[in-house]
Parts: sequence; structure tokens; C-alpha cells
Amino acid sequence: MQSTHKAILKSLAAAGSLSLIIALLPKTGLAADYPAPGDFARGSKAWAENCGRCHNLRGANDLRDDQWITTVFHMRVRAGLTGQEMRDILTFLQSSNNRPIPANIVRTSAGSVADSGLSGQAIYNQTCIACHGADGKGALPGVPDFTDEGGRLTKPDAHLLRNMANGFQSPGSPMAMPAKGGNPALSEGDLRNVLKYLREAFGT
Amino acid sequence: MNEQHFFLRPTVLAVIAALMPVPSIAAGDIDALRETVESLQQQLEQVQKQLKEQEEAAASKQDVQQLQQEVAEASEWRDPNTLIHMAGYADVGYVEPEGEDGSFAVGSFSPIFHFQYRDLVMLESELEITQNDTETDVALEYLTLDYFFNDYVTVLAGKFLSPVGQFRQNLHPSWINKLPSAPPGFGHDGAAPVSELGIQLRGGFPLGSIRTNYALYVGNGPELKAEAEGAAGETEFEYELDGIDAEAFSSDGDGEKVFGGRIGIIPVPGLEIGLSGATGKATITELEAVSIDAGFLGGTAEDAEGGIGSEPDRDYDVYGADFALQWRNLDTRGEYVKSKVDDESGSVVAEGAEWESWYLQAAYKLRPTRWEGVVRYAEFDSPHDSADQDQWAIGVNYLFSNNFIGKLSYELNDGQQGSTSDDNRFFGQLAYGF
Repeated sequence: MQSTHKAILKSLAAAGSLSLIIALLPKTGLAADYPAPGDFARGSKAWAENCGRCHNLRGANDLRDDQWITTVFHMRVRAGLTGQEMRDILTFLQSSNNRPIPANIVRTSAGSVADSGLSGQAIYNQTCIACHGADGKGALPGVPDFTDEGGRLTKPDAHLLRNMANGFQSPGSPMAMPAKGGNPALSEGDLRNVLKYLREAFGT
Repeated sequence: MNEQHFFLRPTVLAVIAALMPVPSIAAGDIDALRETVESLQQQLEQVQKQLKEQEEAAASKQDVQQLQQEVAEASEWRDPNTLIHMAGYADVGYVEPEGEDGSFAVGSFSPIFHFQYRDLVMLESELEITQNDTETDVALEYLTLDYFFNDYVTVLAGKFLSPVGQFRQNLHPSWINKLPSAPPGFGHDGAAPVSELGIQLRGGFPLGSIRTNYALYVGNGPELKAEAEGAAGETEFEYELDGIDAEAFSSDGDGEKVFGGRIGIIPVPGLEIGLSGATGKATITELEAVSIDAGFLGGTAEDAEGGIGSEPDRDYDVYGADFALQWRNLDTRGEYVKSKVDDESGSVVAEGAEWESWYLQAAYKLRPTRWEGVVRYAEFDSPHDSADQDQWAIGVNYLFSNNFIGKLSYELNDGQQGSTSDDNRFFGQLAYGF
């Protein structure tokens, strides 16, 4: 009886495995344009959701851009990522791979003042949400809680905008927020819109 | 009256003009002035020339910006067809078993080499370099050629870490493992397979909003070893299964392949549930007779009646289940694995055996500090009472950075009285992932 159950289980496992192979092998999607571009926003989300499952998150500045290529390919194999997820994460890491500018030479302007037309909430959901969370309380260890009454949002706009524009490492946090959250396309106007949204949504 | 005025005005003007002092400019002064002007002209031309040269030599703001842009977009190092990269990890530490003197120890140095050609293929290999007293041992942890077949399938060929469970394939590197030791049963000669030599398909695919990952493999499978205890001088031994050598063998003694794999489901971010298993045949390939008094007696195949050549294969199965859950600063995970070989009446060891192990672990990061607390409970059951172990392990970690970690831990071990599995242990470890 036991051997019958075992045989059934093995048959089911074999059938499932075979079905998986048949379903996945014919899929096309091999990136012919190497390294194919990924999506920054999806990448930040995939990075936050996948990489911390096994190990402490590594900051984008830990490796050079070319080193990230082999590293994310390695992690694609290790973590069972799809090719698209891997490319998204690579785009996020490479785009975020810039060091915070030292405080004594910070720019007071983040570039163009004109915004992209996106609302602060839309930009937050694209660029910031992976680390700061939908509730603003921080989705990753070490990320500040915006809803904290005496927390980060008590700082003046100029201070916060400077940190957003140039990148910032919170005390005690193992990794730094990259300049403009890693999205260099954001203008000063965009940053102002995001800050406005932060204050409206999470400020006390 | 009008006539008088008519003559008066020119007369006055003429008198005034005659009385005005006429500047007397000497010819020598004019020459000096000319020389001065010429000198100034020459100096001006020189300054103009210098300015022009300076302009030509100096970079304008626009030039600098253009250069910065070119540097930023330089692609010769970002997008070569072939990339070479070395990663890995290393650890050193201190261990003090209960009732013994403690000692500093080199844990391991495990370089991982990556040689990648575009998004087509990557060679991955990890070495494990350890020191045993004064001897240095080098082992090949894994070596695979990864062919990226499409976005959902990667084909691995070579020696790979067993995808059964999560500890061996993903958590064993010292900078990732939150405690200095592996859970009992998840190291070598435990319940969980360590590695395999064969072909594996790995990847992930979405099922609606649910993410999944999978691994399927076929390999040479493990080998079994049997051991007998007897007094010195004995020539006939009663063997029993000692363990499963579930490490990659480059030969397949019984000619029977093992099939296995794992499927992982991530229903919501931060939670992964995995089911894994393997099935196939395994054969006793090593016999070892050990004297209770005098140590090793013999270990040749001929020690068994009929020789090892006639040793039949037997069913070999592994079952595993694991989970990982992260919520804010809390990281929890657990794993269960059971390896089993069936009875085989024609074997020198008729009776089968089971190895079973599980653990639960929780770690909490005390933000905003760099401290982390860890606790783990584990059990390991095997055919040998001396190896069985229940273990509580508690630890404190300090994250110098996310990849450089200092660990202190204490293991409370409960095993057979008098065996090493019953000894508590204190560990200190520095682990670095690079």
C-alpha cells in the first residue's frame, strides 16, 4: 500500500516536472540586446522583495556597474528570478550607483525646476515605495518612519530637498538612499511634488 | 549801430585769438609718444595672443560637461561581451566546546569565480579552502556552466549545490548564515543532501500576482556507507548503515540516476514556501570496520560477503519543506528534511535507515543600532544515537556593514551522554562576504 502511494506521488511529481519543462522551454524572451534595459521602478520593487529574503541587502554603491551585471546574473540563478526581473534589478542598481555628494559642495538646485507632470504620489509609487513602503513607515530595516511624530518630516523643506537631491544615509542605516532615489530623471519640481505628497500623506 | 557791431565782433575775436597761448609741441616729444603707443600696441598684441592661447588650451564649462557626459556613458567597461568577476566569502573565529580549552580557528575562504559571456552563458565556481591543523584543504564546492536558455529557464550542468531545501543552496555562506554553525543535520553527513553532479533546470515564473521559482535536476545520486563495530581481531562484522554520502560523485556506482527538485511559492512579498524532494537509487559503496578498542580495522569492499560488486541498489528518497518570512526587522525561517533508504534483503545491510532534521530560526535587527539577536532550535535524528542532537542556539550579531558581520553565539546541545553531540559550545566569528 505504501509503495503504491509512493509510486503515485512519484508519478505526480514526474508529470508536474515534465509539464513545467514543456510549458517553459518554448518561451522566447532571450534578451538579444545585451544588457537589455530594465525598468527602474519594477527593479527597485523586485530588489526589495527578493534580495533580502536570504541575505542582508547590499547597497548599490557596493559594486561597480559592470560587477553588478555578473552579480545579478548569479543571483538570477540562485534566487530563481526571471530574466526580466533580473534586468529590472540591474537597471535599478546601476541607476542608483552614485555616491551622495558631500555636504559642503551640495547643489542647491536639483536641476530643472519644471516637473515631469507626474504627481508626487505617482513618483513616490514609482521610485520611493520599494524602500519607504506604501504606508511611509519604511519597507526595509533601517529606513526611517515618515509617520513618526518627531521623525524625518519635522525637518525643513530645504533640508529634506537637499537630501532627496543628493542622497543621504540615515544614522544607523546600513545603506544610503541614492541621489533622487536612484532616478536621475527627476527634476527639482518632481522632488518638491514628492515632498509635498510626503507631508500630506504621512506628516502629522 | 548795426554797422558798428558788424565790425566789432570779428575784431574782438581776432584779438582773443591772438592773445591765446599757442601750445608749443617739440618734435622730440612726439617721437616719445609714438614709441609709447607702439610699445603699448605690442603689449596689447602679446596679451591678446596669450589670451587666445589660453582659450585654446583651457576647457570651457561646456567642454567639462561634455567630458563628464562622455565618461558617464563610456561603454568599453560597462558592456563588454565577456565579464570576469570574483565574489565569495570568508570567516575566521573562535570555538570553545564545553569542558575544553577554546581555540582560534580559520573557518573557510570561499572564492566564487564568475566568467560570463553576454547573457548567454556563465561559468560559476566556488572553492572552499579550509585549514585542518597545519594542513590546507581545497574542495570544489560547485562548478557549473549556466546556459541562460530563455527568461524562465536556465540550464546548469556540472556540480551544483543541492536544491533540496534552502540552507545548502542559499544560506550556508557564513556572511548569510546568521549563526556561526549550520543547523544539525544540514552539514555534511546530515539529513540534507549537500551537492549533486548532473544537469539542472532553474528559474522562475509568475502565476498571476504570485511569484514562483523552481529547480529540477537529474544527477549521479548519493552513495551509502556502512560501518561495523567489533573487537580487535574479529574478521566477521555485522554492518549497519552509517550515512548517506549525498555529495556530488563524479562516478555513478549503481548506474541509477537520482531525480529531484524544489518548487518555491511567494504568495506575498516577504513570504516564501518551498517543497522539495529527490528520488532514485543508492548503493553501499564503502564498508568500514571499526574496532571499539583499536580504531579502524578495515574498509575494503571484500570485507562484505560476496564483495561490494554484488551489492544491490535500494530505494533512496528525500522530502523537504521550508519557509522564510520577513516582516520589518524580523526574519524567520524554518526547514524540514528527511532522507530515507529502504530495506534491501540482498544487501550486506538488510535494514534501511532514515535521517531527519528540522530547525526554526528567528532573527531581529535592533534598529537603528547595528545589533541583531538570533535564536534557533533544531533537532537531528539518525540511525546512530551518538549523532542525534537537540539544539538551542542563541546569538548576538554586530553588522559592521551588511556584508561584514561579527557573531557571538552559544549552543545548548542535548545528545547522547558522553558524546560530542551533547557538549555545549561557544562560538565567536567574523564573516565577510565580498
